[in-house]
Amino acid sequence: MLYINNLTKNYGTFTAVNHLSLHIPEGDLFGFVGPNGAGKTTTIRIVCGLLKASGGSVQIGNTSARMGSKEMKRLIGYVPDFFGVYDNLKVHEYMDFYGSMYGMRSRDIAKLTDDLLELVNLSDKKEFYVDTLSRGMKQRLCVARALLHNPKLLILDEPSSGLDPRARVEMKELLKNLHSMGKTIVISSHILSELSEMCTSIGIMNRGQLIMAGRIEDIMQQVAGGKRIHIQIVSGIETAVRILMEQVGVVVESVRENEIIITNNGTDEQTSVLIGQLIQNQVVLTGFYREEGSLESLFMQLTGGGAQ
Amino acid sequence: MKLWWNPLVKKDLQVTARSMRLSWGLFAYDAVLVMAFLLALAVIQTEGRGYYSNNNIYSYLIYLFPVLAIAQVCIVALIVPIITASSISGERERQTFDIMLTTCMSPFSIVLGKVVSAVIRILFFVAAGMPIMALSFVVGGLAWSSLLYFVLAIILLSVLSGSIGIFCSSFCRKSISAVVLSFAFYFVIYILTFVPMILNLLWTEGDSTGESMLFLLFNPGVFFEEFFMQIMTGESLFGTAGSNFDRSEVGFLTYHLSQGKAWMFLSAACILCLSILFMIVAAWRVNPMNTTTIRTSGRKKTKKL
Repeated sequence: MLYINNLTKNYGTFTAVNHLSLHIPEGDLFGFVGPNGAGKTTTIRIVCGLLKASGGSVQIGNTSARMGSKEMKRLIGYVPDFFGVYDNLKVHEYMDFYGSMYGMRSRDIAKLTDDLLELVNLSDKKEFYVDTLSRGMKQRLCVARALLHNPKLLILDEPSSGLDPRARVEMKELLKNLHSMGKTIVISSHILSELSEMCTSIGIMNRGQLIMAGRIEDIMQQVAGGKRIHIQIVSGIETAVRILMEQVGVVVESVRENEIIITNNGTDEQTSVLIGQLIQNQVVLTGFYREEGSLESLFMQLTGGGAQ
Repeated sequence: MKLWWNPLVKKDLQVTARSMRLSWGLFAYDAVLVMAFLLALAVIQTEGRGYYSNNNIYSYLIYLFPVLAIAQVCIVALIVPIITASSISGERERQTFDIMLTTCMSPFSIVLGKVVSAVIRILFFVAAGMPIMALSFVVGGLAWSSLLYFVLAIILLSVLSGSIGIFCSSFCRKSISAVVLSFAFYFVIYILTFVPMILNLLWTEGDSTGESMLFLLFNPGVFFEEFFMQIMTGESLFGTAGSNFDRSEVGFLTYHLSQGKAWMFLSAACILCLSILFMIVAAWRVNPMNTTTIRTSGRKKTKKL
């Protein structure tokens, strides 16, 4: 659906996006992750035709439309991170305004508005002024607005920023719903747990480069296969440390009073042999567990601990 | 995409119509016109009593029209840049401009929509002032067609002011800077068009202006002077002023343009072309595909390619 080839954006000597290549298949819910200044928003703005790329190309579907052209814009629905409002404009007028900006007829817009407001659970707010809606409602209205012209690709730039927990859940449910309807969605967010719950694939950006991209299952499998093991010990900690340090592929990360944390690059079988060896050497264990991986830990690892 | 009736016009008019500012604006506009009318009437009566018999006052009532018209021209010249100079920068401040740019509307349609909505808003004011203007025609004895010409001239001035406003708005991030810049631009157009003529007169020691007066075709102030002259006397300002010149002193083109209504119509065409040029530059400017952003020490600065 979305093909990004060698996309580059330079601001003078600073490279915001560095030869980014990415393919997002049709029907995917793709999460864009990265620390502030990683180049996510720049990439999104280039795809939406709001910024001129310094190099590379963007293609949506099989169209050969150039970036920023009307044909391209017709294929994209864009939801920015901040929802700007007009005073004195009602919800249905807001929808009519943007629908007519896509050349749609008022009659068609009115019909679609009813359906879309129902989809985003704002049917009862149709006659309300937009500036009186809560931030969560505005954001959902913005999604409805972006869907008016039935775009092939829906792009959301940090849609959950500034929303309260309830509004976040509602937004997540809405996006899941849209995904189940077959929409291709690209979402950039800082809330990684949320992305791991709803995305089918993710891309991690850092310093303008895409450092990892793929199906969420594959990535989570890598995370789950995290090599950190916590071994809880009652007695014989010195012996345990000595044995562990002798093993090939095992790194002792930390030693506490009753716990040793190791990184083991071996298989599960090798780990069980290692534990057995400790027991045979009179080390008394109360338990051991593999550290549960998360997108956050992978993200921190890949981006060098860059804080969000 | 419809060229004239575009969605922005509808939206802007909807938003404006619900605002109290429109009501207060119309009230203030009519109040100024009524004051100008009463003041002009008082001056005419005083002058008539002082030097002429009461019967001759009526010959002076014709001057009610230029007084009211000039008052309207001044208000329009003041209001339109304020409306349009904040249009693009206002959308940017509200952060609605990006969404607008992701739609199928071309940057020129957006710019044109903003100018047209400003002109329509000005027509609200002109329509509200029409009964007072009509009085000046009834007691002043002018032809009704003059009123129509006046409305067309006001539309032309609104288009020029609006395009200057939107031109400046496309360059400024803040609305207030755009308003200040558009007034500065307006002032430059009024003054700068006189410069070639003044230089020519200095060069020839006052003997000839040559064709340098042609720059005045772009000056809305000169256009309105010519317009009022035509309405009041049926003669050209340049024809009258240039009666002491011969053809060689004012240049061939200027001499011929100063005959009849040619100057007024050509000036209107020139002002319209200038307005379109401003709108084209503004549309080019707001098109993200023509802009690059340079980031310098954490601050963003937009620069044209």
